[in-house]
Amino acid sequence: MGIGAVALSWMMQQEAARAIPPVIKQKPVTDLKPRQPQTQPQARAMISMFQHGGPSHMDLTDPKPELTKFDGTDYTGDVAFSFVNQASKKLLGSPFKFRKHGQCGTEISELLPHTAGIVDDMCLIRSMHTGANGHEVSIRYFHGGIPGVLGRPHLASWLLYALGSETQDLPAYMVLTDPGGHPVDGVNNWSNGFMPPLFQGTVLRPKEPRILNLAAPSHLKGELQKQNLAFLQKLNSRHLEQSGGDSDLEARIASYELAARMQTAATDALDISQETKATQTMYGLDNDTTREYGTRCLISRRLVERGVRFVQLFLAGQPWDNHGSIRTALPDVCRRTDQPAAALVKDLKQRGMLDSTIVHWGGEIGRLPVTQVMGDPAAAGRDHNGQGFSIWMAGGGVKPGMVYGATDEFGHKAVENVVTPNDYQATLMSLFGLNHSDVIYHHNGQPQVITANRPAKVVTDILKSSPAAT
Amino acid sequence: MTTIRIPGVTKTVAATFGIALVLAVAGATGRSAVADEPTFERDIRPILRAHCLDCHGGVEELQGGLDLRQVRLMQKGGESGTAIVPGDSHSSLIMERIRSKEMPPGEIKVTDKELETLTAWINGGAKTARPEPETIPPGLGITPEERAFWSLQPIRRSPEPAVRADQESRVRSAIDTFLLAQMPEGLSFAEDADRHTLILRAHFDLTGLPPSAELLQQWLNDPSEDWYMRLVDSLLASPNYGERWGRHWLDVAGYADSDGYTVNDAERPWAWKYRDYVIRAFNADKPFDRFITEQLAGDELAGPQQGDLTPEQIELLTATGYLRMSADGTGSGEDNSTARNQVIGDTIKIVSTSLLGLSVGCAQCHDHRYDPIPQTDYYAMRAVFAPAMDWQVWQFPSQRLVSLSTGADEQQAAEVAAEAGKIGEERAVKQAEYMAQALDKELMKYEEPLRTSLREAYQTEAARRTPEQTALLDKNPSVNISPGVLYQYLPEAAEDLKKYDARIAEVNAKRPPEEFLAVLTEPAGHLPETPLFYRGDFMQPKANVQPAALTAACAEDARVEIAVDDPTLPTSGRRLAFAKWLTGRDNPLVARVIVNRIWLHHFGRGIVPTPADFGRLGAAPTHPELLDWLADEFMQNGWSVKHLHRLILSSTAWRQSSKRVAMHDSIDPDNRFYSRQAINRLDAELVRDRLLSVSGRLNAQQFGTPAPVKEDDAGQIVIDDAETRRSLYVKVRRSQPVAMLQAFDAPVMEVNCERRPVSTVATQSLMMMNSGTILHHSAMLAERCRAEAAAIPEDRLATLPALPAPPNEAWQYGYGSYNESTKLIDSFTPLGHFTGAQWQASATLPDPQLGYVLLRGDGGHPDSPGRAVIRRWVAPKSGTLTITGKLQHGSPNGDGVRARVVSSRAAIAGNGLLGEWISFNNAVDSPVTATNVEPGDTIDFIVDCQANHTSDSFLWPVTIEFASADGQAQSFAAVSGFHGPSEPRGLMAGQVVRAWQLAYCREPDAQELVSAMGFLADQIGYIHAHRDQLPEGVSDTRQAMTDLCQALLTSNEFLYVK
Repeated sequence: MGIGAVALSWMMQQEAARAIPPVIKQKPVTDLKPRQPQTQPQARAMISMFQHGGPSHMDLTDPKPELTKFDGTDYTGDVAFSFVNQASKKLLGSPFKFRKHGQCGTEISELLPHTAGIVDDMCLIRSMHTGANGHEVSIRYFHGGIPGVLGRPHLASWLLYALGSETQDLPAYMVLTDPGGHPVDGVNNWSNGFMPPLFQGTVLRPKEPRILNLAAPSHLKGELQKQNLAFLQKLNSRHLEQSGGDSDLEARIASYELAARMQTAATDALDISQETKATQTMYGLDNDTTREYGTRCLISRRLVERGVRFVQLFLAGQPWDNHGSIRTALPDVCRRTDQPAAALVKDLKQRGMLDSTIVHWGGEIGRLPVTQVMGDPAAAGRDHNGQGFSIWMAGGGVKPGMVYGATDEFGHKAVENVVTPNDYQATLMSLFGLNHSDVIYHHNGQPQVITANRPAKVVTDILKSSPAAT
Repeated sequence: MTTIRIPGVTKTVAATFGIALVLAVAGATGRSAVADEPTFERDIRPILRAHCLDCHGGVEELQGGLDLRQVRLMQKGGESGTAIVPGDSHSSLIMERIRSKEMPPGEIKVTDKELETLTAWINGGAKTARPEPETIPPGLGITPEERAFWSLQPIRRSPEPAVRADQESRVRSAIDTFLLAQMPEGLSFAEDADRHTLILRAHFDLTGLPPSAELLQQWLNDPSEDWYMRLVDSLLASPNYGERWGRHWLDVAGYADSDGYTVNDAERPWAWKYRDYVIRAFNADKPFDRFITEQLAGDELAGPQQGDLTPEQIELLTATGYLRMSADGTGSGEDNSTARNQVIGDTIKIVSTSLLGLSVGCAQCHDHRYDPIPQTDYYAMRAVFAPAMDWQVWQFPSQRLVSLSTGADEQQAAEVAAEAGKIGEERAVKQAEYMAQALDKELMKYEEPLRTSLREAYQTEAARRTPEQTALLDKNPSVNISPGVLYQYLPEAAEDLKKYDARIAEVNAKRPPEEFLAVLTEPAGHLPETPLFYRGDFMQPKANVQPAALTAACAEDARVEIAVDDPTLPTSGRRLAFAKWLTGRDNPLVARVIVNRIWLHHFGRGIVPTPADFGRLGAAPTHPELLDWLADEFMQNGWSVKHLHRLILSSTAWRQSSKRVAMHDSIDPDNRFYSRQAINRLDAELVRDRLLSVSGRLNAQQFGTPAPVKEDDAGQIVIDDAETRRSLYVKVRRSQPVAMLQAFDAPVMEVNCERRPVSTVATQSLMMMNSGTILHHSAMLAERCRAEAAAIPEDRLATLPALPAPPNEAWQYGYGSYNESTKLIDSFTPLGHFTGAQWQASATLPDPQLGYVLLRGDGGHPDSPGRAVIRRWVAPKSGTLTITGKLQHGSPNGDGVRARVVSSRAAIAGNGLLGEWISFNNAVDSPVTATNVEPGDTIDFIVDCQANHTSDSFLWPVTIEFASADGQAQSFAAVSGFHGPSEPRGLMAGQVVRAWQLAYCREPDAQELVSAMGFLADQIGYIHAHRDQLPEGVSDTRQAMTDLCQALLTSNEFLYVK
């Protein structure tokens, strides 16, 4: 058998073994080299500002005049409660005012004055639906594709798996946690699931050291570590020579070089003192209330600017979980996050980065239109609601200045153009030039996709241009 | 009862099948011989199976009345008319539906290539390979084409193929003949690896540990002919062998020390007993068929327990821990039907991927889309485990523990349990009271008569409530009080109930310490039915399925059925029968799967590259005859794994060099033909084991409870430095993967790990460069090298680069006395011994001559008068200095201490004494105003005991602010400037040699030694210029040596085995 014939027969065997589409799954991927998407991508990076707890959509993004009108009367629909002892069926009209904003006239609550300023750049989806009221259940649905199921890779892991990374000097998938602690569901929020650790989120810690093992210990800093690495590479190249030039060995030699570059690049990316005063002010760095979240939003932009594929910001615990005192607690968390979140979109836009960067703002559920009774009426709040809620997205090929979908007259259930987390995933993948059902990872011999083959559709109505034919 | 029948085939068809089989087998390796006219059976049915048959044929309720299982039926069509028009794809409805993407529903569509095949087939007349029978039984059945798939064929031992004459000399075992026969022209094995390489390779491969220096020398110098096989045998006999190969099995078994599934990820305290069983089984070379049987049915073999468990029974029960490896949240907060069924599903997944090499799990919801595994087969397999794992009569993890206590222990335990039970009853009574109270309290919020109505409604059993009562409660949901939400109504009640819980815990703590086994057993006489779940949904049970083997893996018309109950056993006997089928000579899968795994771990790649998928989505074997030969050889030799190791390690294929040769690379770049040995990176555990081993800290202790892990300051999961057992003994907490092991691809167990990836990423490099773990290992190796420096002949030393001389240290440490009359230091004698923390006269304290004389950076202790302690500072150049400091003495006993600062320069002018202070149980500032010095002048900080030599410990941190005449300011603090002795430069080369021996298992060659000494020289030179970078208490040479060790430990020669 000649060489060509051998190769051909090998290829044919491979073909025969796989009578399924030519998809991203052929070889075990063991690096983050940039890879071609399947279709023309709109986005190359994404920043997700995840809002744990369930932001109260009828108080923030989804005005409900009927709810206000029937405030205090009994709701007649079925309601699933999480806190039965405080359950009531009394409708609670929003205590906050809504007003139209921008050219598009999207109505936004007075609690989000800065977000109101970017409505012409964003697409507000008012018809999100997870069908489950639990936090973890819905969080895992958003991140991993199946409600409540642990051990699945995060959406970002799938993006990395399919597309690799544009930068080799920084981790491609970074997670910015809150100084107050981990969000609800902890490290599961950035799990690589059944994929190799290569695709795991790298946590940018809220305090030094921001990246683990990034900085040399003080006694090795500078020239000393350079000498160490030079000596190491000398040992390695001699060893490589003796091996006859093995590619695995070469890859590891390169990975030390990358690591050294990463030390410089990451340190630079995190140095926000390089930003102008104007930029810092825009993000609210001059203000105690907004400084922390603003700093992380600004770092996110600096990361994406340097080729990081996916950045996700989390808040400690779940500050949007306003079971009680919604009149005071909700404005608090809005004050912390509204200005920085809007600044991120404005800043990306002024730098011409918004076209290729998707910005996402949203939680895993919303809240009920009925009152959660906390004794004192002033302390009233709202219980969980996975039947209908809002998120917004901007940039990266998402249609700007639009509202998509709707909840019912009281804001309880999504009734028009319902979007599930699986649709959200499919849509995001399509913006990145990927067909979500064709990005396949084999786990224990079984083909896996982000949506776990659950019903999922690309929400083409919110795309600037329809995805290219696959 | 459902019988699972294989679709009938007529005699004519069976005859055709014989031919089809030959063709299909040829197809698997070349496919070229077959005429390319598509047929339904070979080309079309797999496409329909993947996309359509779920709804159109696989289930009895046909969607749209359309059945696509036969061409005949397709022509008959469904409600919309005929599906195909042979010869005319344009008029065929099925094509229209597929092209418009209307079908199949969902996101996964028929590919263009599949569409092409369909079109060509219809246009070609929609041919079948043989006449279709008039009737077919329900379900998809299994076609001859599917049955002909390679992995379902019987294992057939081929004779060893002939080898080209010029290659005959390279044949050491049958393995070599199969590999050589398949090599393309121009390719051959590489040359044999040298002896040193082989010794190392065999060690890492079989035990995962480097050889000791002595052992290495012994094998290098062994003059006998058979040294190599004796080496192999000695490694197979090593207790470390089972640790290395047991770990491979633990991967596929999904070993973890925690329950997973929930966020709190409860610990699984007895899993390690199974881990130890696996290690022992490998060490004992337990026949693998027996190993499988014990793991699947050890409880069935163990027989009834009479009195205390026998050692044999304990071993057999421990083995069933294999079936307790899946994540299980039912005992830690997630007890619901989904969670229970998940445990069963995961267990089946573990069994099928580890032993059958098939993704049987795909058939949980529908007939497998690619492999001939009907859904009924999945439930037949589930029925095998049903008596032991019944989701409706569930046994929680805590109920699946078997105590190792003896009868006497148990009696005492029973007494404790009775006592706790009593408190439990009290608690139940109390809880009922509280529930009533909570209701009363809540109802107070309502006026009569609503209050009474609500009470009546609440107290009425849910099923008996009137619609009005139900509506009433629905309208007032806060009345629906249950024990679970009691705390929301009566917080104090919850607190009180906790007290009962605490009392119960207290009583339970009195139980005698007890060890357990986590096992799988069947409750006596428990024989639940196993219904097929429609779409895998346990809420939709269908017809019951009987336990049986996989249809496609049995000979046609001879499916192995498993008795519902074996009357000869106290258990159902189902798992035992299943194990018997698995390990039977006729099972086509198990032996292939196991030998493939063994091969994979020896060569870094399986003969079947997808070790857990021998189905159509997996890869075909690269050397099918070799795979079968090995499987047969394995079974013929009593399923001895060690026999396989010997066979493989004795082959030229394994013994050849891994060195890349351009000639081979051009023909076989990916080494698919084994024209060289692979270079393999150490597994995660082995990296750490080797690090511990080279610094001499590896704790050889085997077995037992897992070593704990913890979160460090930076939030990484680490292993305590003091824990130095091999890494497979480190706790595997699913939610707390050890950072270093995970970085090097140790699995984080979700279900199980069929194969580890080998990643190469910068984060690993950052860890190797900067993590505390690696720095610590490097320092430990440097320490060992100092203690065990090799002897280097003088003449060789002379050829090496010189190291920078010890720096002129600003501070020196000695003892002596002060002369009151001359106001000078009478004598200064350097102290001779450094402990690592302080200078003293000798290793013993008190020293026989000098007593308690000692000095640290911040103070010390003088001895009797005349033995004052002196920290001496030597001026580097001329300038002016001032001194700040604070003298402290902290004892009310004795008479305190006296401190003086004496300058040699001022002495020339007749007044050396710059200051004098006494401290007695207090603190005194000790400032010295500006004084001039010239290069080489000394400033002595001398402390004596005064008259009384009692309680003379003192602290005297001093700082010299020095302004040199050339205008530079410099600060010399006694504390940060404190140092130990410099090491003699002559010993450094010996340490380097020792580092090479330990890290690389070889001597450095001349060039390497020169290069290493050059590195040390550079480092030491740099450190001298940057003293502030040196960590406290570490000398220049030690730091440089630590850095050298770090380079060795993070280099490719350390991380890879060639």
